[in-house]
Amino acid sequence: MPETRMLYRRVDEPGLASIETYRRRGGYRSLTRTVKEIEPEELLTTLQDSGLRGRGGAGFSMGKKASFLPRGDTDKFLCCNADESEPGAFKDRELMQKNPHQLIEGVAIAAIAAGAGWAFIFIRGEYAEVADILEGAVAEAYGAGFLGADILGSGQRVELVVHRGAGAYICGEETALLDSLEGKRGNPRLKPPFPAIQGLYGGPTLINNVETLSNVPHIVANGADWFKGFGTEQSPGTKVVSVSGCVQRPGNYEIELGIPSRELIYGLAGGPPEGREVKAWFPGGSSAPVLTAAELDLPYSFEALADAGSMLGSGSIIVADDQVSIPALALRTARFYHHESCGKCTPCREGTNWTVKMLERVLSREATPMDLDIIASVQDNIIGHCLCVLGDSMAMPVSSMVKKFRPEFEEYIRRVASDSPGLGSDGAAGLHALTGTSSLAPASGPHA
Amino acid sequence: MPDPPRITLLVDGVEVEAPHGAMLVDAAKHGDVEIPVFCYEPKLGHPVGACRMCVVEIEGIPKLQTACSTPVRDGMVVYTQTERVKEAQSAVVEFLLVNHPLDCPVCDKGGECPLQDVAMGWGPGRSRSVDPKRHFQKPIPLSPLIKIDRERCILCYRCVRFSQEVAEDEQLQLLERGSSTFVGTFDNRPYIAPFHGNIIELCPVGALTSDAYRFRARPWDIEDAGTVCTLCPSQCNIKLTVRDERIERVLARDNVDVDDGWLCDKGRFGYQMAESGQRITEPLIRAGGELRPAGWAEALEAAAAGLREAGERTAAIVGGSSSNEDGYLAQRIVRKALGSPHVESRPSGGPGVESRRTGGRGPAGFLRQGLVELSAPRLAASVSDLDRAESILVLGTDPLHSMPILDLRIRKAVRLRGARLAVATDRPSVLDGGAEETARYAPGFVGGFVSALAAELGAAGYERARGELGADAERIAGALKPGSTVIVWAGPDARGLVGCARALRLEEDGAGLIEVPEGANGRGLREVGCLPVAGPGLSDVEQGLDASGIRDALEAGSLEAALLVNADPIRDFAGGPAWGEALGKAKLVLAVSMFEDASTRQADVVFPAESYAEKEGTVTHPDGRLQRLRPGTPHPGGVRPMWEVLAELGALLGEETGVESAPDALAAIASEVPFYAGISHEEIGGTGIRWQERAAARYWPRVDDVGARDEVPGREVEPAGRTAPEPGDTGGRAEDVDGVIRVGTYRDLWAAEVTDRSPALRFLAPRQALELAPRDAARLGLGSGHEVEVRSNGTSVRARVSIHERVKPGSGFLIEGLGDRAASLRGELVEISKAGEPE
Ligand SMILES: Cc1cc2nc3c(=O)[nH]c(=O)nc-3n(C[C@H](O)[C@H](O)[C@H](O)COP(=O)(O)O)c2cc1C
Ligand code: SF4
Ligand code: SF4
Ligand code: SF4
Ligand code: FES
Repeated sequence: MPETRMLYRRVDEPGLASIETYRRRGGYRSLTRTVKEIEPEELLTTLQDSGLRGRGGAGFSMGKKASFLPRGDTDKFLCCNADESEPGAFKDRELMQKNPHQLIEGVAIAAIAAGAGWAFIFIRGEYAEVADILEGAVAEAYGAGFLGADILGSGQRVELVVHRGAGAYICGEETALLDSLEGKRGNPRLKPPFPAIQGLYGGPTLINNVETLSNVPHIVANGADWFKGFGTEQSPGTKVVSVSGCVQRPGNYEIELGIPSRELIYGLAGGPPEGREVKAWFPGGSSAPVLTAAELDLPYSFEALADAGSMLGSGSIIVADDQVSIPALALRTARFYHHESCGKCTPCREGTNWTVKMLERVLSREATPMDLDIIASVQDNIIGHCLCVLGDSMAMPVSSMVKKFRPEFEEYIRRVASDSPGLGSDGAAGLHALTGTSSLAPASGPHA
Repeated sequence: MPDPPRITLLVDGVEVEAPHGAMLVDAAKHGDVEIPVFCYEPKLGHPVGACRMCVVEIEGIPKLQTACSTPVRDGMVVYTQTERVKEAQSAVVEFLLVNHPLDCPVCDKGGECPLQDVAMGWGPGRSRSVDPKRHFQKPIPLSPLIKIDRERCILCYRCVRFSQEVAEDEQLQLLERGSSTFVGTFDNRPYIAPFHGNIIELCPVGALTSDAYRFRARPWDIEDAGTVCTLCPSQCNIKLTVRDERIERVLARDNVDVDDGWLCDKGRFGYQMAESGQRITEPLIRAGGELRPAGWAEALEAAAAGLREAGERTAAIVGGSSSNEDGYLAQRIVRKALGSPHVESRPSGGPGVESRRTGGRGPAGFLRQGLVELSAPRLAASVSDLDRAESILVLGTDPLHSMPILDLRIRKAVRLRGARLAVATDRPSVLDGGAEETARYAPGFVGGFVSALAAELGAAGYERARGELGADAERIAGALKPGSTVIVWAGPDARGLVGCARALRLEEDGAGLIEVPEGANGRGLREVGCLPVAGPGLSDVEQGLDASGIRDALEAGSLEAALLVNADPIRDFAGGPAWGEALGKAKLVLAVSMFEDASTRQADVVFPAESYAEKEGTVTHPDGRLQRLRPGTPHPGGVRPMWEVLAELGALLGEETGVESAPDALAAIASEVPFYAGISHEEIGGTGIRWQERAAARYWPRVDDVGARDEVPGREVEPAGRTAPEPGDTGGRAEDVDGVIRVGTYRDLWAAEVTDRSPALRFLAPRQALELAPRDAARLGLGSGHEVEVRSNGTSVRARVSIHERVKPGSGFLIEGLGDRAASLRGELVEISKAGEPE
């Protein structure tokens, strides 16, 4: 099955990042129509009717969220979440790098729909080069009158600032992002109040992912019905999926939502290297509970993956083949979240820390079968009990690995008893092969 | 404000009534259900939901919810005891203990530790963790007064939130992240801030301990004694921790109408003054040039003899820490037994104080009128009104120094409700940062500013000022909301405030004035008769001399005896050392004092004074709240209750008061102060009562009854200094005169006896500093730290230069209360010369 390219249309055309090329290809027509012909309420209706769901993780209806912002002329804000730090996710980077104006146009339209006069793109600090590209594009857009106090003479105002993050995964969580943007320590805030009511500097704020906003010009150009013609009923549209790990052609693939996952992993990404089998896969970034080879035929849609006990999340698939040690993968995953936990709430701060210590003992063959029960129980004690979902993001995959691959964990413990050579105690070793294109943190981080 | 409607919810099957919108943890208490918390502390503002200890099940919501951040609704069905809830809560305790050292046997918090209590009540009983715990170097100083043990910290963020969102000093921060997070300061600098001691009390574990209290007592060794701190006008409610009749610690005794449950560090650590080994504990009589211990009978007789001889040539100075009873009895002795009108309690004056026109010796009625108008019940705001007012004006004072708790209260109003704050002062204020408008007038020009403000507010009879003064007044006026403003003010000449009050409709509910007096009980002392212009209940009396008049008269010999009740005028009053000379000339100085100080050095008879911790009696808060002082520790040595001593002294002089107990003394006050009528210790109770809210408030004197009216309001705006400015003068002229600066003075928070007498606080004692604007410093060739001599009319003060951006050019500021002559320079144009290089 081929890709279905909407956001990725002409993505490899040289010069697409420049405003001339983008405009030549029809760019900024949606924004022009928006400021000249479309009432904000109508725009909101279109976005809502399209069924576009957030591409940053939670999959919430974009149009509905925009419509939550109170009307009236209080200062409102739009924040584009470009923090993309989830291991396995690298789609926003390519979208911004190769087609920055598509995002800028989407930001401007969404800001107008939400009545936000100020917009920010909060970009992951390590994406320095991409941020340079974006800043150049923003300058071009200002120059051409697509941004600023009076867009194309319409009286509409959208000011856009590219803000570089300082390197914390947690700042991708929307409320931590707001605190960070305000110059504070990036810690999640208690919700409610939700950002749509009280967000940046206390003002109503719409927060959306890069990919979500990149969809907006297309919906405005072609209409909600056109958009709904792609994907499934509950997951309309296309999705850019980052596929990494044990596959032959890792990369970003734009597909129509709802195609079989196997098509993505085997058809597009080429499957594991010759002679190997898929053992486990994360369907939605490293925070999604892992699925097994038996689940490869699940449709790649929000609803199907949720029904299977996992999630589509940011839409990033990481594949582990039969050469990968699942306990090592669990430790690797836990270490990442332990390292990135902000520490604000107890279950995540202490639970990630404790889980890492226990998994380290498993890998160094110092654990007992009881420890596996404790590991499982600690994950249960984290899930659903944290202030934000970062805690769950470790507990869910780790828990799924212990449940689905318990015998593999027990191997480590039994080997102690028989004192036979182990599977290799370096948790990271098995994973290096996986991390070619993903952003798993190094195992030797300061807190590892 | 109307109370929120009450709603009914079901907690564990029991119907519970609670106010709508209350947080579930608080609402559950109405049904006697305790939900454990760590991070929740409503005093710190909005809940943060960090510790996750308080999770409960709410019908209709799939996930467990934090009860500390869930407002209750009618019909809500809540479960706090289900297996799911128990498991989740027990898991949080287990998580918290994974890295906690559990060194309770050597931990100060042991026995009064919320972590212990919650672990016992809701925890799993034993930990499954076998891995090594997190380690930190410990304990280490967080400040000169607080030690931090980071291993015990459970990261509830209370201390950090206090620093950032209550005190707003922003010094405490979370460093690192995740399980490596710890509490600290930038670059490990000591946390030095005037309210920082509150974090010790906020900490739910033994992570933050008071250096002064460490290892001093266990909860089962101690008793709590509730009383009121009289170290400043805030009159915070406190609990003394007493072990073996000694005070070991001071804690807040939350009273939302007074202190919101906070204390400043002076109140928290100043108890050491009461426990000082240097206290005077026996009466002393001067013989052969030396003060020698004497029995009470002998000392009382000596005092009575001297006073009898001086008769109407006696004056009394009553210090601000005196109770209403002390003040009342002292003025009664002087007025009734000795027939002298000279009673004073104001170090540098008060509203309606001596202007040049009356020279302090004019008709008493004129001065009383200002008092009666400005302190009238209908214009009185309560501290809690600051929580409601839409705008707040801080005028002529910096609450951080003069009434610290109000600083926090005002910040709260701005931060949590967006109240509009305006600050008009001569010296830059620490509240400037949060203010919508600030105005700086030249030192001593508060009267001119207030008149200009009254004019801008549209008050009749005031002329709008020109120039900078007019523009400043206009900006400030623009920030104030009629009918919903509270003005916090202090100053010697603010008659224009009457016009402002009218124009701003301060008589409306939730609006009004709060005057910050100079002494802790300044208001009470004034109301019980310690003023030269008014007797008990602000009654009409023969006019006496004010403080400087008394000093001059002692010096000149027309007054012969001085009764100093808890007062050290040499340190605290304008004139400073000049008081030494004046007292030296007196035939009898009777001093009631806790310590030997500059003034007792001139005394002939000394009565040992009680500390606030030993006192029984009442004080009156600046907002009119009568509060009770209750003895927490026995009197040391021969110290006796002052009401008793004064009643005996009165009797010896022929004034039979019939006072045989502290309640008797209060009854005597109530019989003479009509608007206190019928008040008793029982009625005042543990949290006090504002007299304005009692029926007797209607006996407040009416303005019409009070002597001549000043019909031309606010025409006189001169500072106490030399030249009178023209009306409309911007007060900025001094800057045109090369090398000449007009001096203002302020009472630094730490320029107080308690700082010197409490070892824990000594490091905070200020040294005299002259604050200058950068421009003036440059013009005078002065740099930070240079030693200078500040001179005017033969008075000179030494100071070190300290340069501040926000000081108005032409102004300079000195600290009062350091025992030098700084206060005499207030409002003066001075000359400044360099006397030394920086140290
Ligand atoms: C720990 C954590 C990290 C997150 N990181 C990102 C991120 O990098 N990019 C992103 O778009 N959303 C991220 N999210 C999701 C955001 O909180 C938020 O749901 C999203 O930006 C909303 O946009 P959308 O509705 O367009 O998906 C993260 C959430 C959590 C809990
Ligand atoms: S879940 Fe983790 S990252 Fe989220 S608030 Fe709690 S400690 Fe911070
Ligand atoms: S803080 Fe509490 S639990 Fe911890 S050692 Fe001290 S007393 Fe024990
Ligand atoms: S030091 Fe105490 S108050 Fe501060 S975060 Fe730790 S436990 Fe909480
Ligand atoms: S008390 Fe509710 S989360 Fe801490």
